[in-house]
Amino acid sequence: MARIGRAIVRVPRRISKGQVFKVQMVITHPMETGLRKDKKTGKLIPAHYLTRIEFLFNGKRMTTIHSGPGISKNPYFAVMMKATESGTLTIKYEDNKGGKWEKSLKVSVA
Amino acid sequence: MFTRRDLFKIAGVGAAALLIAPGSVKESFGVKKISIDDALKEHLGVTLKDLKESNLITVKAPTIAESGANVPVQVKANIPVDQVEALYIFADNNFNPWVTKVELSSMNGEVFFATRIKLAKTSPVRAVIKMKDGSLLMAVKEVKVTVGGCG
Repeated sequence: MARIGRAIVRVPRRISKGQVFKVQMVITHPMETGLRKDKKTGKLIPAHYLTRIEFLFNGKRMTTIHSGPGISKNPYFAVMMKATESGTLTIKYEDNKGGKWEKSLKVSVA
Repeated sequence: MFTRRDLFKIAGVGAAALLIAPGSVKESFGVKKISIDDALKEHLGVTLKDLKESNLITVKAPTIAESGANVPVQVKANIPVDQVEALYIFADNNFNPWVTKVELSSMNGEVFFATRIKLAKTSPVRAVIKMKDGSLLMAVKEVKVTVGGCG
């Protein structure tokens, strides 16, 4: 399986000022509920899921997603964002096992 | 070779196993399913009766989902984003009906959220929007699931 915590974030290439655009992301994560059994050993697979995804733009909090095991494996999230200025979009996310990751990308507003 | 006695023994063991089985299955699960009312109470402090359906919110989800492991859900609302405190998604028949809570801000520009969720079985998918003034708005979409996605 691909590395846990890897994320792909996508924003439009050209953004004009004042435009509301979509920010899409996919994170590689198993999102185990803790209720599923391993078919070989018969033991429960421990829960392992993302708990929090934070979107920050130029250091200011834009969106916080509180997630749980009800979100699908390799979660996909999309939110809207209003273009006011160019800057850095930082996405911080963490899971219930203490995993923490961060991903940044430049957003240039023309 | 099997004698008649052996046959009884095997049958006896089988019957005993059947008697024990249901109990052990329950025990291994341990946790009980949380009802939608309990989930709503925990996260919003209300029950299903208190929620009013609003046509300002739209929930986009497939009517029939082939796999419950991956159901795309999109929530949109015709409300200025700075009046919204948070957006919730609930799926009634899931083990834990609470799926997600999304805190939006004016930087989002509009009320929109899309993700993919798991559904254990056919269930209404609810989007609840909590406004800054404390009022709650809801929209429901029934999704039929042919193969469950939680276990």
